[in-house]
Amino acid sequence: MRLPAISRRRFVSTVAGAGLALPFFELLQPGRARAANGVAERFIVFYFPNGVVGPSQDGQPSQWHCTGGGTNFTLGPMLEPLGALADECLFFNGLSMGPTDTGNHPGGARKLLTGADYGNSESIDQLLARTAGNDAPYRHLYLGAMASQNNPSSDAFISYVSPGNSIAPQDDPVAAFDLLFGDFMPGGGQPTGPDPKQVTVIDAVLDDMNRLRAQLGDVDKAKLDLHLESLREVEDRIKSVGELPTCDSPGLDTTGLPGAGNQYDPTAFPAVLRAQIDLMVLAMSCGLSRVGVLQNSHHTSDLLMSQFPGTPMYDPGYDIRSHQASHYGPSHAPGNVLYDAYVQQNQYWVSQFTYLLQRLVDTPDPLGGGSMLDTSVLLLCTEVCDGNTHMHDNMPFVLAGRGGGAINPGRLLDFGGDRHAGLLAAIAHAMGEQVGGFGDTNSGPLPGVLG
Amino acid sequence: MASTGGGSVLWVAMTCLALAGGCRDRGEAGGGTDSDTDGTASGDGPTDGDSDSDGVELCPESRAPRQLRLLTRREYDATVHDLFGLVDPESCSEDAQCPAGASCTSGACMVQAVLPTSFEIPGQAGWTTVHLAGGFNNWPGTIADGGWPLSYDAGSGTWSGTFDIPAGQHQYKLVIDDSQWIADPTNPQTADDGFGGSNSVLDVQTVSEEVPPHPLRFTDDLPLESRPGGYAFDNNAGAGLVTSVHADQLMRAAEAVASVALAEPAWMPCAPEGDGSACAEQLAREVGRRIFRRPLSDDEVSKVADLVRGEPSFDEGVSVALQSMLASPYFLYRFEVGEADGDRFRLTSYEMAAALSYGLWGTTPDDALLDAAAAGELDTVDGLEIQVRRLLDDPRARELVGTFAVQWLGVEPILTVDKNTGQFPGFDSAVREAALEETKRLVAHVTFDGSGRYEELLTADYAFIDAGLAALYGLPAPAQPFDQVALPPERAGLLGQISMLGTEAYSDQTSPVRRGLFVRRALLCQELPPPPPNAGNVPEVDPTATTRERFEQHMDDPVCRGCHTYIDPVGFGFEHFDPVGAWREQDAGQPVDASAQLNGLEELGDGQVVPFGSVPELGAILAGTQAAPDCFARHYFRFTHGRLETEADDCALQTLTEHFAEAEHDIVSLVIATLTAPEFRYRQ
Repeated sequence: MRLPAISRRRFVSTVAGAGLALPFFELLQPGRARAANGVAERFIVFYFPNGVVGPSQDGQPSQWHCTGGGTNFTLGPMLEPLGALADECLFFNGLSMGPTDTGNHPGGARKLLTGADYGNSESIDQLLARTAGNDAPYRHLYLGAMASQNNPSSDAFISYVSPGNSIAPQDDPVAAFDLLFGDFMPGGGQPTGPDPKQVTVIDAVLDDMNRLRAQLGDVDKAKLDLHLESLREVEDRIKSVGELPTCDSPGLDTTGLPGAGNQYDPTAFPAVLRAQIDLMVLAMSCGLSRVGVLQNSHHTSDLLMSQFPGTPMYDPGYDIRSHQASHYGPSHAPGNVLYDAYVQQNQYWVSQFTYLLQRLVDTPDPLGGGSMLDTSVLLLCTEVCDGNTHMHDNMPFVLAGRGGGAINPGRLLDFGGDRHAGLLAAIAHAMGEQVGGFGDTNSGPLPGVLG
Repeated sequence: MASTGGGSVLWVAMTCLALAGGCRDRGEAGGGTDSDTDGTASGDGPTDGDSDSDGVELCPESRAPRQLRLLTRREYDATVHDLFGLVDPESCSEDAQCPAGASCTSGACMVQAVLPTSFEIPGQAGWTTVHLAGGFNNWPGTIADGGWPLSYDAGSGTWSGTFDIPAGQHQYKLVIDDSQWIADPTNPQTADDGFGGSNSVLDVQTVSEEVPPHPLRFTDDLPLESRPGGYAFDNNAGAGLVTSVHADQLMRAAEAVASVALAEPAWMPCAPEGDGSACAEQLAREVGRRIFRRPLSDDEVSKVADLVRGEPSFDEGVSVALQSMLASPYFLYRFEVGEADGDRFRLTSYEMAAALSYGLWGTTPDDALLDAAAAGELDTVDGLEIQVRRLLDDPRARELVGTFAVQWLGVEPILTVDKNTGQFPGFDSAVREAALEETKRLVAHVTFDGSGRYEELLTADYAFIDAGLAALYGLPAPAQPFDQVALPPERAGLLGQISMLGTEAYSDQTSPVRRGLFVRRALLCQELPPPPPNAGNVPEVDPTATTRERFEQHMDDPVCRGCHTYIDPVGFGFEHFDPVGAWREQDAGQPVDASAQLNGLEELGDGQVVPFGSVPELGAILAGTQAAPDCFARHYFRFTHGRLETEADDCALQTLTEHFAEAEHDIVSLVIATLTAPEFRYRQ
């Protein structure tokens, strides 16, 4: 149930004023400085479950990875939906996650953004939200498409707020929109300053928080530190009403979204994902956030992709699930129902990533300097390489965007088995955070990714 | 080892083949709670200072942490409901707001119910017994065979009785003295009985009854609680973290709760007079105590009262004060911090009050419990037990036992698991909700109304179902939704329920692996490692092969056999139940073969091979083990402590399982022992 009709915090409306002016320019000064320094404005992860058509058990070559090297390479067939946008991507061979802890899917999902076994590290997106992204009103946007279906174990979720602790994304685009934009009334009056009641409440809560921390000493210190940091973020939003950026005509296309009670209807999945992508782009174009994660379903998911209308996979009479298709057999065998489905599923995920890239291409960066894709860095990822063999070497990562000049895409790099944690470190550097090493291998930025 | 999962690293290097002797319960990997009976560490450690004020020995190595436990979404909603007596001002707007079996009609939750049917028959001289026999009770010739007896009232000279008869048309007769069959003389409606006489004909109608909607929910937009691997419940203390999304939504929820509460201010202890100061302070003290689950300090009272007084109107002030308390960490966390007692920390009376109320009701303490805390009655085991028993005597305890059960069993996904709508068109949200409700009701019934023993969960030959479930079970609809009915011989207890059978199956086919793993993990606490890399192919759908044939490939492949020998042969025992749990005689056009066996019973690799041929047989076998009730106790320990056990908990767990066994696996005894155990009340 939606919360009963109450006055939403109105500060969110300020970002939604159609064509309203202004304070905008000053607020985003830090971003301007970033772009001018060849630093990425924003980072978006696009995750999909259950791997890709990699090297087969029988030794056939990957259908995902590119061949060639440098700027002279051929796209893997699974990547063909990228089309011309392949020029905006950086491709990799020989990028390894190393041996993972127990569990090929869960172990991979835990390590994907943390670079650490058991997810025993803050994930790179959360690190960047807290650092490079901390001048944005919402430091982290975690949007899911049916990621929480069937109450999965916490290893289903790839974003780790602290070592070992993942959180679940918001699966409901309408609720997410509501959080970001409130009950915006087109043409309605915009508040010019903070709501004094909200200021009173947040001050009182922060006071309790500080008193409690003093009282408890070291008991559950990390938990209370995170809570305090979260409250400070809310405090910033409440107290900066009237100073926040504005942007044009937000709106969410709710066509095809599932209603209450059937929010996990698989036939609605494409609509949910589309809405979440649109919302991510919208929020970022409004300067609401710099760091976001889009998570599609979760590892080993039984997502019924044969029920996705309007896709080549659609076959209402025959159920093929994501994880089921990934176990297509020992060889790449066109004609094998599962293999064919898996190919289509791979290409569907790439086509959706392509849609996200296209939306960013079509949206000018609010600060100038080209399109939003020019100033962003994106990571396409899944928790295993080949879905049938479950290996964690030659991981199918793709980087996209020019990162405000930090990244020079349109190349294929071969790392011969280097750890992917070095890729995550390179992303941090692209965002202006000189993390040095990352993950449990303390890998520094991989050479050649930047610049 | 168990707490970090570090022991699992070993699995990576192992092949399935090598695991035959190595597949052990994680929790026992550090020394075993049941294999090592003499060496309980309670005799090994320091013996001084380890008994509490009741003189109860505390396992010396117990390391229960001091911790803060964030309210879960269900706990938050139940809490604000109980604090402010919130009712949905708009009643319902969709079926999802109504209880299982009810639908939202014209803004109210309506359930189709059947009223009991009464009979009143003028007696005749010489009758000694009269009973009803009809289609509704299979025409029993005698009362001993199940005839429904009427009772004689000498004053009026009539035989009468009232019975729950399902909706629909029924034929029946009265049987006098177990021998003479006559039509009901008070019922003009008859039909030919086929023997030259008449049956009476009865039309039982359904009526619509209004039932209250679910309590308001304020937490739908909070992220799902994280359940770290192997932890089945939504209340993991370590994972209960306030991220910025939480902080934002919790602020909104506080605003919404305050708004709804102020619209129905029956909970307000006073009305403002004069400048409202007196009422503001009274409100801070009394309502504050209920919100923070402890008395407020004088400073806190002043702070809250100042918030009330700081706004232009009293109501606005109350709203701000409520919001500040509802978003405060003192409300959002339950405290298990304790106060110093020797070299340990003992949970305070108020912390114990919250532990009892959230542990037994899933909600905030009532005034009586807070008063008991104030009076020091929760400082002794005897005092605790009095309160535990009082709380258990409340409907909320039944509800919470049901919540525990569906999380322990992992069957909540029955609400959201995909099913092929072409194959199973009737498997709608009403049936899914009813399936979950059935599981909750069985566990609550066994705990509070039945034998009280764990074993009955697995062996019950009855169920609580509604019409939708009855159709899946091939049974007549019960008179009232969730009436108790006798099960057909192929089902018994939790193992025969739709919630498990449907959750542990795919959309269009069964999964012997999932169902087998359910038995190993949820019921026996026997963990298996995940498949190794290159695990290869899950058998695909072949219309000419049965599911069993396809999955038997696991058993043929030597790489898979090492682990799957523990899994699939158990799961095959459920093959008579289709992906939504309905009975089937055939699979892929061939007769179902549901012969099955447990390879390894008390432990994986213990060499026991126990064949079974039906779900009730499996239930009886498991009910006879030590591993299954021990596993139940382990899950309850986790639920209560909000964490996975570690080696340091071995002694505490062993004490619990031994107590549980001595109490003949009486569930209430386990509940009391867990909540009052020194290892729960004392922290490091």
